[in-house]
Parts: sequence; C-alpha cells; structure tokens
Amino acid sequence: MSLLHYIIRRLLLMIVVLFGVTLLVFSIMMIIPPGQRVGIYVQHEKITPSQMEALIIKYGLRDPAPIQYLRWMANVLRGDFGHSVTASAPVSEGFKMYFPVTLELVLLATPLIIIVGIKLGMLGAIHKDRSIDHATRVFAIVGYSLPTFWLGLLLLMIFYGYFGIFPPGTISPDSKDVVFSAEFINFTGLLTLDAILNWRWDIFWDALYHLILPTINLILLNSALLMRLMRSSMLEALGQDFILTALAKGASKRIVYYKHARRNALIPAVTVAGVLFALLMGGMVITETIFARQGIGLWMARAALMLDVPAIMFNVLFLGTVFVTVNLIVDIIYAYIDPRIRLG
Amino acid sequence: MEKLIETEDLYTNFFTFEGVVRALNGVSVVVNQGETYGLVGESGCGKSVTVRSMMRIVQEPGKIVGGKILLFLSSEDRQKGIDIIKRSEAFMESIRGDDISMIFQEASTSLNPVLSIRDQVGESFLLHRRGELLEETLKQLADELKSNGFPLAMAWKGFQRWLFRRELESLRRYEKHVKEIDRELYELEEKTDPRSTRRKSSLNARRDRLSEHDFLVSAVKKSPFLERYYKKIHKIVENKIIELLKSLGVPNPANVLKSYPHELSGGMQQRIVIAIALACNPTLLIADEPTSNLDVTIQAQIIELIKMLKENIITSVLFITHDLGLVAEVCERVTVMYAGDTCETTSVKELFKNPLHPYTKGLLSSVPRIEQVEKLHTIPGTVPNLINPPAGCRFHPRCPSAMKICAERKPPMVEYKEGHTVSCHLYPGEEV
Repeated sequence: MSLLHYIIRRLLLMIVVLFGVTLLVFSIMMIIPPGQRVGIYVQHEKITPSQMEALIIKYGLRDPAPIQYLRWMANVLRGDFGHSVTASAPVSEGFKMYFPVTLELVLLATPLIIIVGIKLGMLGAIHKDRSIDHATRVFAIVGYSLPTFWLGLLLLMIFYGYFGIFPPGTISPDSKDVVFSAEFINFTGLLTLDAILNWRWDIFWDALYHLILPTINLILLNSALLMRLMRSSMLEALGQDFILTALAKGASKRIVYYKHARRNALIPAVTVAGVLFALLMGGMVITETIFARQGIGLWMARAALMLDVPAIMFNVLFLGTVFVTVNLIVDIIYAYIDPRIRLG
Repeated sequence: MEKLIETEDLYTNFFTFEGVVRALNGVSVVVNQGETYGLVGESGCGKSVTVRSMMRIVQEPGKIVGGKILLFLSSEDRQKGIDIIKRSEAFMESIRGDDISMIFQEASTSLNPVLSIRDQVGESFLLHRRGELLEETLKQLADELKSNGFPLAMAWKGFQRWLFRRELESLRRYEKHVKEIDRELYELEEKTDPRSTRRKSSLNARRDRLSEHDFLVSAVKKSPFLERYYKKIHKIVENKIIELLKSLGVPNPANVLKSYPHELSGGMQQRIVIAIALACNPTLLIADEPTSNLDVTIQAQIIELIKMLKENIITSVLFITHDLGLVAEVCERVTVMYAGDTCETTSVKELFKNPLHPYTKGLLSSVPRIEQVEKLHTIPGTVPNLINPPAGCRFHPRCPSAMKICAERKPPMVEYKEGHTVSCHLYPGEEV
C-alpha cells in the first residue's frame, strides 16, 4: 500500500516537474521572433510580408506571453504539437515514425549494457589485480576513450566493408516491401515485435540482423562506465565487515560474492543504469547517423540544424518525461534492493 | 585436559604496498575442550589476526605463511589432530559456522545491511543443516500426502517430495564422498614422502571440486522463479530461528525475523550476530571483542549471555579483549599478546597474582584503580610498526628490564611453573 501511495505521489510530482519543463521550453521558444514562429502553424515556403502579418495576427503571436502559453498548452494537451519541417508531417506523426526505431535499439541494448557492465565489473573486483581485472580495465578504457563516430565507422568498415555482414539500416530492401505491404500489420512500430505478431520470422531475423552492429557499438561505448562503477563498489562491499561474517558462517566464495556483496554493490550501479537508459533514449545521434537508423536522435539533430522548433520542443518535453519516469523507476528499484531506503 | 584447537608457531603476513606487515610472529596458543580462553593485548597486537588465521578467513592481502593450526574435533582425530592449513577450502567451509564460529567486534557493520535477519541467520542452517531440513520437510510432506486434497495440489506435493528426495540423495552421496576423502587425508596427514604429498593435493583439489548437486536439483535451486518450491524448508528454518532467538533473549522474535539490521538496537544486533554464530551449535565460539562498541549495561548483558551459553551450549570459548577486567570476569586461561608475539600464558588467577612478563606487569599497572592518587602508570613508547618490527623480542625497546640479548634473540617460550609459560629472557629455561 505504501508503495502504491508513493508511486501516486511521485506521479503527481511528475506533473509539476513537466509543467516546469513546458514553461522552460516555451520561454525558449518565445526568444524566436514572431515571424519565424509562424512556421509552427503554416508550412508554405514562400509568404509575402503582408500574408505574414496576417498570419501573425491570426495566430496571436504578438499577444502577451501568458496568453500564448495557455494557447500553446491547450494545443499540447490536445496532442497537437504543431508541424515538423524535418519530418514533413505533424510532430506526433513524426514521433510515431522515428520513436520505435530508437526504442527498439534501446530496449535491446540497455539490458545487454547492464549485464555486460555489471558482470565485467564484478569479475574485475573478484579477480582484483589479476589478468582478468586488467583485461576488463583495457576494455573499459577503450570504451571510454574511443569516439562514437570512430568506433561505429570502424565496426561498419570491418563487418560490412570487409566481411559483408551486418549491413546498416533497419531492414533489408526485400523485407521493406513486405513491411510496407497491406498484409503486414503495424501493431507497435517495433519491427522485431511486429514481425513476431505477424508471424513473419524471416522479417524478425532480418530486423534483428540489422540491430546487431549498433547494439555492439552501444555496448562497447556505454558499459565501461557501469563496469568501473560496479568494480569499485563491489570492492568496497568486499572490504566490509559483513563479508567476514558470511565467511565465518561457512558461506562459499560464490555465495559471498553473488549474494552478500553484489546486492550492496548494485545500489550505485542502478542510478547509472537508469541515467544511461534515459540518455540513450534521446542521445544516440551519432550511432543512428552512422548505422542509418531513422530514430529520434537523428530527427533531433536535423531539427536542431533546421530550427524545427515544434520538433525540438516536443522532444525536450518527451525526454523530460522519460527522465522523470526513469528516476521514479530507479527509486523504486533502490528501495527494493536496499531496505534502508524507505519510500513514502 | 584435551586440546580443541592449537596453533603452532603461526606466522601471518600482510603483503601491502608499503611492505610486508609481519602481523603474527610465531604465535602458539592452545584452547582446551571446555574452557574459556582469553586473548589479551593492545589494538593491533594480532589478536584478531590470530583468530582469523584459525578460521582461515584472513582477507587479502593477508596470508598465513608458516606454522600449523591443529584441530581436534571428533574422537577419532584426537590423537594427532587435523592441520587445517593444509586442507581444502571446501573443508574449511564445512568447519566454519558449524564447528567453529565467530562473533565480531562491531555488530552494526558485521550484519549485511540489505539482507533480512531471517536470511542472515537462516543461511547458517541452510549451509550446514540442509540434510536434516530436507528430512524434516519430507516427513511433513509425507504426512500431508496421507490426507486428501485437491488432486492438483496433491500432484504438486508428490512432485515436491520426489525432488526433495532426489536432493537429499545427492546430498548424502556428496557427504559420503567427502567423508571418504577426509578419512584418506587424515591417514596421510603426517606422511611427507612425494607420493603422499601428491595424493594429498589431488584429494584436496577433488574435495574443492566435488559438488552435491545433480543437474535437476541445481536447476531448481538457481532459478529465481521456483523460490516457492523451497517455501516449506524456509518455514522450518524460520521456526528454528525463532526458537534460537528466544533462547538468546530476543523479545518478539517473529517480528525481529522480518526486520533488517538497521531497524535493531546495538545490543539486539549483537544478539543476532551471536545467533548466527550459534545456529549450528559450534564446539568453539570465537568472540572477537564482542562488547567493545556497546554501552556498559548492554555489555553486561552480552557478557552474561556468553557465560550462560558457555555453561549450557558451547564447549569452548575463545574470548578476545583488551579489557583486563573482562578477562578476570570471563576467562579461565589467558594469553597476553604483544605485537604478534605471545608473551605469557597462564590461568587468570596466576596472571593477576603473579605476572611474569614485563609487558603483562606494565599492562596490569596501567589499569586505573579507585584508590589511586598518583598519575596513572603507562608503558613508555608506542606499538612498533610491524613492517620493520624490532629484532629479537619485539617488546625490548619499551621494556624496563631489557638486556643485551633481548635485541638479538627472540626469547623461547618456557614453562615457569606448571600451567604458566612465559616468553622472556628474564626467565631462562627449556623451550616447550
């Protein structure tokens, strides 16, 4: 019961936070002169100055800011975020188009990043200052220091360039025809999931095949931080007195590592894993560019370059929601792992 | 009196970046069956390292580098004892918590903060009493199967019984193997020819590798979704814990069971630590300064508790403390340690009446007394750095009666009179 209360309270708080985010986003938008903000509502390339003036008055772009804010909020609440130039569609349509591509990769990569990071971090701590530890350290340094674009291109060059496997893109041209045909029903927009739901395993494997290289790229780049954190917190846990108690009880090394130490060491790692997930949701610009995946990151980057204000505003709001939600989930997991943390 | 555990010339070093810390410099202590034995000394004199070496839980970068630790547990190995330094890790795991267990200085940090009391106390039972637990569960299941019930529930119970039986069988098989290996190792104990040595190391390695689990049982054990399958065992364990906590004077044990260490008071935490140690009725309880972080009233309670346990449950207690008052209160025989050396070993009465070693004398005169008016006596100087310990007797730089030979040669342990041994050049004699 207290957990439910806590979640409800946090969700109410989330609304407050998101309200703050909308205020911030809106004030950023208000910096742009009214003439440019017309673009949010109208998509004509060429407009005469008199038409422009008419439009500005029509949409009330010179009204006091609070009134404009309320008007904008009313639209947002109705699900109308304006028109995105870069997606050449309404923002919500663009989101439906780009988001599943990102989500698919994030959902596949994040668990793997977490597993690899935690596993290698624990191995490093258990075999401290031995060869396994040094190997994981090298892995971490490589992951830390290699720029995304370089590693991504290198992977693409090696696998696609030399061996001809793991092509970029989300799906092969043949499968694309199937996906866009009438009998393939788009349930979720996630290609792999849709393929299963349509019982088209060939398409599922094809989509998964295209996901492998970007996933490897993300694992190499992102598990390093988690790994190092896990290693140090594991070492700290292993130095605690309760490890001696467990040993004196007759527990084997395995039980000591995986039951007594790991749970204590996981607490800081959970935070980082949560932040990592949230960051990946919006921040895979380079990975998506290199592997030609039309995702949120790519859209955001293009929107920023072309001053596609509605798209940017929407994505800021979206990422705000993601971060707040992930934080809530992290807090709940915290309380589950560590009984000293009380929710509510 | 019969010996229970004995260390012979134990050397334990810590290999740190600054250098090798020689924490134990040939420590020899004997704990007899049925006695309360005290280990006294300043902080950092190697008391804790001695007992941790005895259990072989010295943590990195520490290592036992020399000496013997002889354990005389069952009647069959009373004659020569088992040298546990040479035994496998798996053997030690079966000894720790079952025959020898330990309670620690700071109860608040020696309990795992993220595991419930039930998990932590129950672990001892689950590690060492699994066979008995399985048998009890099987008995329960057999009773339940006799009565009528839903066919599906009955089928589930039948399946459980089948799997528990399978687990029990594999456990018994494992125990039989282990017993065979241990017997052979015991017979080879004192042989040093190359063939026996090889055989010993291969047996030790085999004991480490040996595993009780058959494939199906370990699959069930490791799968987190099948936790419910073990509910019956956990229920039995719970009852055992409640009984144990009750006997230790924990009020409302059923609630304490579900709580976490941070929710308990210091005295209660120490009781839980004691409960963990006592779960399997150990022969030897090692108490590593169990009261030094408690306030005085709780201290008295815990001491009373340990005394009560000594009378009723445990055979021997090895009590570590720096408090001479406690020694007088609790112990029968005492060893005084200084900087990794054993200074003198004697009965408590003798120690206070007739201290021999200059360090013991210094310690005793440093105890504040109520009738004392002049300044409190102190031993000049400080505890030496054990990376470069003084040569010869480690106490000689601070010793009021130091002689030339003290800096040159480590004094042998001599028997001054029966039951009173001392290691000091002031008392020449035959080494024992």
